[in-house]
Amino acid sequence: MAWYDKDSWLTAALAPTPSTIALTLFVALVLPILVHLFLYRQAAPTALPTFVLVGPSGGGKTALLTLAERKTVAQTHTSTAPLAIEALLPSDVVPASSHYRAPGDPAYERARRFLLLDTPGHGKLRHFATTQLINPTNVRGIIFVVDAASVAEEAGLNEAAEYLHDVLLALQKRYTGAPTSKGPKAIPVLIAANKLDLFTALPPHLVRIQLERAVSTVRKSRAKGLKDSGVALGGEDDGLDQEREWLGEGGEGHFEFQHMEEVGTGVVVKGGNVIGGDGTDVKSWFEWIGAQL
Amino acid sequence: MLDSFEILHTSGVVLWSRSYAPVGAHIINSLIRDVFIEERIVPQPDDAGQRPTYRKEGHTLKWTAAKDLGLIFVAVYQSLVHLTWIDKLLENIRALFIGLYGDQLKKHHTSVVNCDKFGPYFERQIQELEGANDGASSATPNVKLTPPSSADNDSAEESALKPPVLQQQQQPLSDTSADSTPIPTPDTSRPTTPAQSHLLTAKSRPGAKLSRRDKKKVAVGNSAPASSGDEASARRKGKALAKKNRTWTEFGADEEDPSLILDYSQSDLRDDASEAEALEEINPESWGRKTGKGQFVLKDLDDEMDQIIAEQNAKKGVSSQASGIVGSSLGAIGGLFRNVVGGKTLTKEDLAKSLKGMEEHLLQKNVAREAAVRLCESVERDLVGLKTGNFTTIESTIRTSMEKALTKILTPTSSLDLLREIQAVNGSGRPYVLSIVGVNGVGKSTNLSKIAFFLLQNHHRVLIAAADTFRSGAVEQLGVHVRNLKELSKREGGEVDLFQKGYGLDAANIAAEAVTFAAKNNFDVVLIDTAGRRHNDQRLMSSLEKFGKLAKPDKILMVGEALVGTDSVAQARNFNASFGPGRGLDGFVISKCDTVGDMVGTLVSMVHATGIPVVFLGVGQHYADLRGLNVDNVCRLLMS
Ligand SMILES: Nc1nc2c(ncn2[C@@H]2O[C@H](COP(=O)(O)OP(=O)(O)OP(=O)(O)O)[C@@H](O)[C@H]2O)c(=O)[nH]1
Ligand SMILES: [Mg+2]
Repeated sequence: MAWYDKDSWLTAALAPTPSTIALTLFVALVLPILVHLFLYRQAAPTALPTFVLVGPSGGGKTALLTLAERKTVAQTHTSTAPLAIEALLPSDVVPASSHYRAPGDPAYERARRFLLLDTPGHGKLRHFATTQLINPTNVRGIIFVVDAASVAEEAGLNEAAEYLHDVLLALQKRYTGAPTSKGPKAIPVLIAANKLDLFTALPPHLVRIQLERAVSTVRKSRAKGLKDSGVALGGEDDGLDQEREWLGEGGEGHFEFQHMEEVGTGVVVKGGNVIGGDGTDVKSWFEWIGAQL
Repeated sequence: MLDSFEILHTSGVVLWSRSYAPVGAHIINSLIRDVFIEERIVPQPDDAGQRPTYRKEGHTLKWTAAKDLGLIFVAVYQSLVHLTWIDKLLENIRALFIGLYGDQLKKHHTSVVNCDKFGPYFERQIQELEGANDGASSATPNVKLTPPSSADNDSAEESALKPPVLQQQQQPLSDTSADSTPIPTPDTSRPTTPAQSHLLTAKSRPGAKLSRRDKKKVAVGNSAPASSGDEASARRKGKALAKKNRTWTEFGADEEDPSLILDYSQSDLRDDASEAEALEEINPESWGRKTGKGQFVLKDLDDEMDQIIAEQNAKKGVSSQASGIVGSSLGAIGGLFRNVVGGKTLTKEDLAKSLKGMEEHLLQKNVAREAAVRLCESVERDLVGLKTGNFTTIESTIRTSMEKALTKILTPTSSLDLLREIQAVNGSGRPYVLSIVGVNGVGKSTNLSKIAFFLLQNHHRVLIAAADTFRSGAVEQLGVHVRNLKELSKREGGEVDLFQKGYGLDAANIAAEAVTFAAKNNFDVVLIDTAGRRHNDQRLMSSLEKFGKLAKPDKILMVGEALVGTDSVAQARNFNASFGPGRGLDGFVISKCDTVGDMVGTLVSMVHATGIPVVFLGVGQHYADLRGLNVDNVCRLLMS
């Protein structure tokens, strides 16, 4: 039976027979649906507002995350991978967007939900956090958790300041690099001075002063430092890379967190402790989160 | 004895833990840092028999991971004791935990795994493995996992059980070591019965699995020497066994005298029928007590545990089989399809070919073979057992993973801020000392001058010390550089001078003198140039140790050429080791990067060999051609 015969399968496939039409229709309609289902089966169902936990290793990010999720603190070790959890604002904190709503209103309950994203703080693993900053999806705020006791020492302070500098610079770049003149939606930063239960810990206002001072130093030595190898080693020379950006107002003088307001980033420092003999004290941090919701 | 056992998630959350002695959190933290993040200790492949170990402050740590679920299982024990069953424990606990809680672990957006009930399982595992090891220390510890056996297998097992009886008496030491930390238990007086009660209750459960038999046989084998061996060993044995089953007195110990029970157990080995009779007597009682008594809960656990572990092992077996046998027709097509579409679970075999290609690619980029192999292994470790994402091929999955591995290896743990360090050291009232080492002709003096130029730009007062008293012309060469720099410093600010004592004197002394001179004359920084030396020249390399002790440099940088190939690994290692214990290199300067195009593999090789970061790159002929490292850019070059 040759292909041009009347009842060969090829002829049938091209002829306007009902079965062919039905089959074609079926394939045309069902295939996209299947592909859709296949692709979106695992996609996140909701886009909850996200808060990113960053900060040097050992600050207490993961501890805070477990506290937010289960109201008690789990034992933790150095993180090697990021983790997102869904958390609920404590009942005594009211989300800013729902002041007029009554508790029990489903919209109110919904507004209290958020995602908390923990990132590893080890120097080699900070790319998990920085990619979040370059391309933030639904990020409402950044919580920079720092050990208030380690900031009292030079080494700990420098590490924290360097990381903080990079975070703030990334936020500034995102703002200044945005195509619209209005700039993207602001991402505020909370510096959570943790471990205030330790007697070596600095009080929050001193943490603020110390960090501002240390970030100024980092900014200064970055300004004076060597250029990096990007362009020299065949990186694309689009002029933008070469033009280095300085944190804050022109990169001169003393840096203050206030300078970040100009680029749409409010920075506040609040103290607390996740663990402690007299229980935990993280109310101020949750209030801050509530204010961003 | 085990100090602590923890099951933790890669996110850092401890899911379950049990500790028998206080172990500081920093011990496991440093395991994570050194092994998992900085990869300073490369674990041996799993099939090499023993699992890798990590030592810290008198503790030994062993671990295993479940990559796809992001779990790490860590056992911590005193380095002084030798525990042979830890490997087995890790493996069994992993299988158990995944079997029990695998579904919970796959949930998104939560860190909570409800595993309060894991305790009894764990205890049982410990008891069993410890018991099996105490008794038949020479027999394989994996008695538990021998597949359910048929009748003829039984007889083989039987004859295999004879030797331990002899070895028992020959190895009292292994017994005492176990006894040194006895668990307090009231029933140490009746050595042999525990095995019996164990046996009876095990048999009495209608759903008891066959594999229980194997274990029981071992238990019987263990009890045998107690009656036949000498007094002392019997006593000791008894203690060890009592540990295993504390609750035995509840069952039948009062009814029969030990020797009689021993008879039962012996006959059981030969005759199943008589054993069944013996069981009938206890059965009703056991049914009645089933829920109330701890013993029976344990028995349930045992069965469940066996089942779960067997299941997990079977899964492993099937998946490796499927890729081997069914891989012929349908499997192959499905595999191809999934390779394109994604959602394929990766095995070693799947990765092998693409990884080979990746290795070749890295070699072409001038990465030393050793480093390339290690990177590929780390990618393999990263990926085996994972599912490929939607619409991603194996190749692109490997690529992403390799990029991640490269970023991780090249990113320094803490970045070097030379200017701030200088400031800090000067603040304490002494000059900052930086010295440069390397093999001949790699550009030590040139890069030293570049660093000097950079410091001059920042208005520092720099003293350059010519500690190369070996190669003729070296001092003059440095003199030329200093003259040029002086010229430049008129424009840039700062001040520079040369400290030299000619040739032939001891380099270490000159360096020390230079530092004293600088301190007296208010210099901020001393840069010490050293003689180039072959890294395999014992005599010259050994003089570096004295140099380090006398000059006490704040930073020792090694210059390596970007052009050098495989030799880079040995260079980096030897120089790093040459300063004696407690002192190593602080960073690498890679020179002549502009001449190699995208073949920047040397960077990776050197970091791989030592874990020490690259801090500067030389990219040209001018004093200003010194750069910091841009990790992203280098990764891109390597992957292109
Ligand atoms: N005293 C005290 N200790 C705390 C507090 N918060 C956290 N810690 C402890 O600090 C240690 C480190 O906490 P983690 O949450 O693991 O630190 P991390 O920020 O996640 O660190 P990385 O994962 O390495 O980035 C843990 O041992 C905590 O128990 C606190 O408020 N007070
Ligand atoms: Mg963490």
